[in-house]
Amino acid sequence: MISANGIGKSFDGVRAVDALSFHVAAGEVYGLLGPNGAGKTTTLRILATLLLPDTGSAEVAGFDTVRQAERVRRSIGVVNGGMGLYDRLTGRETLHYFGRLYGMRPGAIEARIAALDEMLELGEDILSRRAAGYSSGMKQKIVIARAVLHDPPVIFFDEATSGLDVVARRAVLDFVRRYPGEERAVVYSTHVMTEVEELCDRACIIYRGRKIAEGGIGELIEAGGGGTLEDAFFRLVEGNGVRAAGPRDASGVERAL
Amino acid sequence: MRPQLILRVAAKEILSTLRDQRAIISNLLIPLIVLPVVMLGLPLLLGGLFQREQTTVTSVGIAGEANLPAELASLLKAQNVGLQKVDDPEAAVRDGTVPVAIGVPADFAGKVTSGAGADLTLYSKPGNMKSELNANKIQQAVQDYSRQLVSGRLRAAGLNPDILQPVHVQSVDASSAAEKRSGQLSWLIPFFIAIWTLTGGQMTAIDATAGEKERGTLEALLVTPIRRTEVVTGKFLATVTFGLSAAVMAIVGYVVGGAIVGSAFTPHLGGQAADLVQVMGGSLDISPTSVLLLLVSALLLAGTISALLLSITMFARSFKEAQSYVAPLSILLILPAVGLQFKDLLGFGDGIYMVPVFNALVLMDDIVKGTASSGPVLTTWLTLLVVIVLLLAFANRNFHREGVIFRV
Repeated sequence: MISANGIGKSFDGVRAVDALSFHVAAGEVYGLLGPNGAGKTTTLRILATLLLPDTGSAEVAGFDTVRQAERVRRSIGVVNGGMGLYDRLTGRETLHYFGRLYGMRPGAIEARIAALDEMLELGEDILSRRAAGYSSGMKQKIVIARAVLHDPPVIFFDEATSGLDVVARRAVLDFVRRYPGEERAVVYSTHVMTEVEELCDRACIIYRGRKIAEGGIGELIEAGGGGTLEDAFFRLVEGNGVRAAGPRDASGVERAL
Repeated sequence: MRPQLILRVAAKEILSTLRDQRAIISNLLIPLIVLPVVMLGLPLLLGGLFQREQTTVTSVGIAGEANLPAELASLLKAQNVGLQKVDDPEAAVRDGTVPVAIGVPADFAGKVTSGAGADLTLYSKPGNMKSELNANKIQQAVQDYSRQLVSGRLRAAGLNPDILQPVHVQSVDASSAAEKRSGQLSWLIPFFIAIWTLTGGQMTAIDATAGEKERGTLEALLVTPIRRTEVVTGKFLATVTFGLSAAVMAIVGYVVGGAIVGSAFTPHLGGQAADLVQVMGGSLDISPTSVLLLLVSALLLAGTISALLLSITMFARSFKEAQSYVAPLSILLILPAVGLQFKDLLGFGDGIYMVPVFNALVLMDDIVKGTASSGPVLTTWLTLLVVIVLLLAFANRNFHREGVIFRV
């Protein structure tokens, strides 16, 4: 479903992503795990066609991200922690606007809103209210609804729970757990170890743009010498020439919630 | 390019701006109501005050009233001046007892009769409007008195008073009817269109570019199947709509306000107030062809300014940063617009119609005055179209640049 083949990207001479390769199959929740600045967001932006890779290539849902960018965009949904909403539009207006950009008819949009209402417990309060009056949880629900409105086979979550309270965070995690089916794939990017442990079938540990390790959660822990995923993460990172002096010192990885 | 997607983006931007109270106030209410009230109301108010001061009898201080010739006293009365005895005329004006005062020396009448120069002292407060207006009344009365004396003496000597002014100049207004009617509006209309397009369009332009980045909505928009060229075009259309609507509101408010004030209030005021209001818009009369030419020119000017706004605001990361980029544009537009008043003195050649933005201002000035011809019209329109295309291409190119879109 998703295939990154040696993709690389530099900004002002700094290598943000370095020859990164991974594959995600249908039905999988794939984790991108790494500290802030590891290159996770850049990787997802390349896959979402927002950035062009300097090297390598990527395919999403069978389409090349450079040559078939528009078809890729029809096949993906993106949720990230920094995504906002139009303050002066209601939830329903926002969904209609994006639905029309995806080429959906008003009737189809309404039907999909009804389905998402059930799935995300949106409620008329969220749908009819302008986004300026939303709590962070309400906002994130509409952000997710907007991303999956057109029922894409691939969805990218990038630090989607950052800044959310515990209830809103739980709603996001529940959605990610339920969303993938046989025909869908999810890439879940985060620096929170427990979320990866909880949600992902497989994960890739990225550090300074490079892949440090990849595999199932159990395999990663085993490769890192056992214990928790967090312990394994630090050992794997140190084994690649990086010293983790304290809980957040070397990498900025959040060790505990 | 898919027009339905472009219109979808434009409609969303328009709806978003319409729901912004600040935009409604600055784009619609201020140009439509506040601006005409200030610009027409102020001269009306001042004109009314001048008129009142001239028509009401004001007490003026006088020292030496007994020395005042009867003819001069009656001329002062004709100017609505009432005389009030004061011992110290300078002190009376200084402490505000009277707005002005005159001092008539004991030998005044004698000197006038003998033909020697007679002195009359006028005490006033320069800078004080009431004092100056009443000083003018006294000066007018004294001038009339002097004229009467000179005429009388010349006639007594068997001479015609006209020998004092051997040549008379007859002025004839040779301007066209449109030029006469346009008054100050000939340069105010382009001025308003330029300034209000900028004011009205900037909120939409900033919200649609830097605002999208600041809110974090741009990324969500760009991962949809819409092409970036379509996004830029949609945002451009919304910016033009608001820019032009603010400009139209300003002109409608001004012209309608001028007409209402002209017909409803000035007959009661007359004089200066009526003249002021009439000059500011009460007599504007533009032919349908001129209106069409004006609209196309305004649309192209609005398009140029909107494309410029989008090109600039796209680089900003936040609303505030974008505002600081846009602020200097006001000066760039105001200066040439004000310079239109001195167009005749500056003596521009036809090359001026190839200078973007300024060409539209000059052309609209020509249209309102009824002096526009096909050459300048086509040159201006073509130049503006080329500039719009170039600016949009620039904006579009930048909208594809990762460094601009993800600038943090």
